[in-house]
Amino acid sequence: MENKQLSEKESLQLIAQMIQQTQYRLAKNAGTPFLIWGYMTAILSLVIWLLIRETANPQWNFLWFLLPAVCYPVTIYISRRNEQMIKTYIDRIIGQVWTVFGIAGILISGISMFLWHIPILFIILLLMGMGTALSGMIIKFRILAICGILGSLLSIGCLIIKGADQLPFFAIVFLIMMVIPGHALNHMAAKMSAA
Amino acid sequence: MKELDPLLHSQLRLAVMSILLSAEEADFVYLREKTEATGGNLSVQLDKLNTAGYLTIEKSFIGKKPHTTCRITDKGRKAMADYVETLKSYLTGL
Repeated sequence: MENKQLSEKESLQLIAQMIQQTQYRLAKNAGTPFLIWGYMTAILSLVIWLLIRETANPQWNFLWFLLPAVCYPVTIYISRRNEQMIKTYIDRIIGQVWTVFGIAGILISGISMFLWHIPILFIILLLMGMGTALSGMIIKFRILAICGILGSLLSIGCLIIKGADQLPFFAIVFLIMMVIPGHALNHMAAKMSAA
Repeated sequence: MKELDPLLHSQLRLAVMSILLSAEEADFVYLREKTEATGGNLSVQLDKLNTAGYLTIEKSFIGKKPHTTCRITDKGRKAMADYVETLKSYLTGL
């Protein structure tokens, strides 16, 4: 492309062509943040469940703080390593959705640990399910949206199951809600990138 | 009839502004690939658009690699809207 002047028709064609080329495309490894948080949450849930079952000591719940301490830096490191050449409004909206849900999750977890007894696992599943469903709807990836809605609906299970036995259920829902769509998203992104 | 903005009425600059219109930000390599322009020419045209206040250029490093990111400004967005409006009036007047 050069600096030549265009006719009016050519100008409009060029604008349309460039806008079309810049449409949102799934970034390579787009599903990786879901995999990091999904696997880590599922593993940590099972570890805490086993420890509480063996020792009957609820203090093991403080291990939950490992989740943001490990997952946030890993997510930031991986997203920097896979720096995209272009960022669309959709990328920004997805980032903002997860900032809001992340802050809400941390706030509610803190309140549950230090102030009031609230059904934290139910609320976290509900929130993260909503975040996942919204992400799926924004990027128009049906599996992600469906798994997110399913996660939100399954959160009710944490109100039915009592005590620490909620934890293995919580782990399973995270696998359904984040790990399955995370792998599907990576598979789709790899296919699009190859095409 | 209103005159077309001479800064935008050039193939390469119009292509860059059109890309940035639909993207939040784009890096230099991406713009070079999409416009198929030479690095030197693209650099000169980006500077012109930057001087006019139509886009911002941010230079940084990712690891050890230099990274140039371009973003359209509100002034650039308005200029593009005006440009398209003027184009439309030209075409309807044909």
